[in-house]
Amino acid sequence: MFQVQSRRFIIGAAASLATLSLAGLALGSGNAFAQAPVKGGVLIYLEQQPHDNLYPPAGGFYPNGGVLNQITDKLTYQNPKTLEIEPWIAESWTVNADATEFTFKIRPGVTFSDGTPLDANAVAKNFDTYGLGNKAQKLPISEVLTNYKGSEVVDPLTVKFFFSRPSVGFLQGTSVIGSGLVSLKTLSLPFEALGDATKIIGSGPFVVTNEVLGRELTMTARQDYAWGPKNLEHQGRAHLDGIKYVVTPEDSVRIGALLAGQAQVIRQVQAYDEKQVQSKGFIIYAPSTRGINNSIVFRPDNPLVSDVRVRRALLHATNTKEIVATLFSENYPQAKSIIASTAQGFVDNSGKLAYDPALAAKLLDEAGWTVGPRNLRQKDGKELVLTAYESLPQPQNKETLQLVAQQWAKVGVKLNVLAGDAGSRVADNLDPAKTPVAPAMVGRADPDVIRSQYYPTTRNVLLQKGGVSQKVQNFSDEKLNKLLEDIAVATDPVKRLALVGEVQAYVIDQGYAIPVFEEPQAFAASPRVKGFTFEAVGRPSFYSTWIAPK
Amino acid sequence: MVHYLLGRFGQALAVLALTFTAAFLLLQVLPGDAIMIKFMAPEMALTPEQIADIRAAYGADLPLWERYLSTVGQFLTGNFGYSIQAGVPVSKLLLTNLPSTLLLASLGFTAALILTILLAAASNMTGMGWLRAGLQALPSLFISVPVFWLGIMLIQIFSFQLGLVSVISPGPVEKLVLPVMTLAIPISAPLAQILMRNIDQVLTQPFVAVARAKGASRSWVLWRHVARNALLPTLTIAGVLFGELLAGAVVTEAVFGLSGLGGLTYQAVGNHDTAVLQAIVVISALAFVTINLIVDLLYPVLDPRLGSKVGATA
Repeated sequence: MFQVQSRRFIIGAAASLATLSLAGLALGSGNAFAQAPVKGGVLIYLEQQPHDNLYPPAGGFYPNGGVLNQITDKLTYQNPKTLEIEPWIAESWTVNADATEFTFKIRPGVTFSDGTPLDANAVAKNFDTYGLGNKAQKLPISEVLTNYKGSEVVDPLTVKFFFSRPSVGFLQGTSVIGSGLVSLKTLSLPFEALGDATKIIGSGPFVVTNEVLGRELTMTARQDYAWGPKNLEHQGRAHLDGIKYVVTPEDSVRIGALLAGQAQVIRQVQAYDEKQVQSKGFIIYAPSTRGINNSIVFRPDNPLVSDVRVRRALLHATNTKEIVATLFSENYPQAKSIIASTAQGFVDNSGKLAYDPALAAKLLDEAGWTVGPRNLRQKDGKELVLTAYESLPQPQNKETLQLVAQQWAKVGVKLNVLAGDAGSRVADNLDPAKTPVAPAMVGRADPDVIRSQYYPTTRNVLLQKGGVSQKVQNFSDEKLNKLLEDIAVATDPVKRLALVGEVQAYVIDQGYAIPVFEEPQAFAASPRVKGFTFEAVGRPSFYSTWIAPK
Repeated sequence: MVHYLLGRFGQALAVLALTFTAAFLLLQVLPGDAIMIKFMAPEMALTPEQIADIRAAYGADLPLWERYLSTVGQFLTGNFGYSIQAGVPVSKLLLTNLPSTLLLASLGFTAALILTILLAAASNMTGMGWLRAGLQALPSLFISVPVFWLGIMLIQIFSFQLGLVSVISPGPVEKLVLPVMTLAIPISAPLAQILMRNIDQVLTQPFVAVARAKGASRSWVLWRHVARNALLPTLTIAGVLFGELLAGAVVTEAVFGLSGLGGLTYQAVGNHDTAVLQAIVVISALAFVTINLIVDLLYPVLDPRLGSKVGATA
């Protein structure tokens, strides 16, 4: 007993030390232990998967974001602590009263790594491409730029954007990974040429100087970089001379290489490996993704889950505490709502999410599903058998769904968990008849994320009619959609957050989603790595990073 | 002989054409395609109209025969198209991955052959029964060891514990040592099993007794008489093992994080990246056909009886 406690204490201490060192670097060298950053050195970073297409709006995939975040700058900087929008490439901005016109003043003297200027014209071209797409080049529209109408270059350093409807989320949208600014040359390339990292010309602190496709990336610091986010303590060029990204798919090889000193930072550390890393004095970083929690969602178009009582029964049959305790660690907090507790507008709904198998059984009885042979509930000769595909990017998602299946089996509901190939997975996940249940998660630190997740013409996780799926018969929730539209257009921040609160309660009351845990991005680093920071949703930033001498 | 060669060459071309067509048709039958996987994923948040535009831009809405003909035309002119998932030309992917896989596969295969011959020779030259039994049991062990486990163990021991080689930023030779070992061990297993059994069989032949009676030493008989006869079936298996080699390379490359055809295939299958798969299938078929052609041509060299038979039919 004592041993367990002391071990916990050590882990806790290590975690708080990590937080302290992070905080120390973010707030400045106020404490006595602070060392002066060391210039130079190449950091070796191990990624689990190779990046794919680096068109910035496709940067949501974490391996892509890990690359793009070093080589592109954004118009604005979202402070990862306060989530406030701060100046970066834009020195200042104004928004009209109904949030349909945004004017940005561009910082003078910024250049892309090919020497061309990052001016109002370049910014306008970037957002015109991301906001309107380009059919000839097959460039799709960015998720964060709905209702984008166009731009106007007012003067060389002033650009104005127009929207057909109020778009409050746009300001934060200029700070996300998908809005990274690239040179006009990169924007002229077709979609299928953007998987080559050396072709992505940004204005960021690092430049991709060499790439072995699918295996290795060499990034070199730009000597003339002088336009980091204004409020950061560190200004000027990056401390490091360069970063070497090496794709190392095997978990044990990444961890072994880190511990053996062959690498300094690794991404994707599974919860069960955390202790092994920490016991050797290495540090786990688990920044929150601050968006939609790792959840299980229902597709009410499927008659098996069209009854709110069935969905609520399954919500109460899910023991998220057990899932977190069995499969994860303290870096994966049990969900208290459909969005993370670090997200804007979060409202604690844990009272509505209690594990209560008795209530679950009662609700299923009321809905007419009675326990039949094989301990399986049935109604009108149909058995309550549901299906879901595992989601590969989510941590231990297969294990999570299998544990949920065991929990649901206790109330007489069967959940089949499928792996499947990518083709079947994408096709079946668009068909509510085949996948009444699906795992879901999004990282984005703006209330707009909740609209994007549930609205029919965007991510449409509930598969409402009117979205990309042609298989939906008739499910549509006008009340939910109205609330989501209101979030998009609410110009009063207080009202906007109130609406976010309403949506959270509504989604849970309707049993549309079962939030499981707040998903972090898990990294491990050598204790010699200092100033390793993250953007607002957990993508690594090596701008202020340095390596302490042995 | 020329006639035979021309015939074999024609067969090889026919096999290639059939493989190409079969691969094309099979890839079309799979549910979904790369465009759907890439653009209809929820995180792209696109509308049905936008997706229809993209499909039209890629020519994915054309009828099957039209797409087949244009793919054939592209391949004949050496244009393999673009990988939708990776966002680069397929030729660039092949250029990055093919040479490293060829190097790994050929070194792995050579190492496997050396290992096979050493095992077979050692088990036959030793006079000690227990050692012989032990050596003959080794291939069964080799074939049962999972490749990924072997790779991870080699990395843990030689790189992380002993620090002899680096797996993250190795030199050009350093980076091949452990992967070649990992690949050679399971490949050598079936080869060694067949070679050992054949040696045992050939040893029971009367001519061996005659050679021994004439005063030839045990090793003289083994190398001069037995080996040549026992090698033939081994060679046949070696030709077929190429597929195994590629499969082994998938795992080896993943464990060691090497670029190569194995990893490329794995990714392309996962994402239904048709253009990449089509090119890989054609290249693999080409390699199979070439290797088997070489093996067939080697038979008469090793066994003159087969050579005269070819002459008789020609």
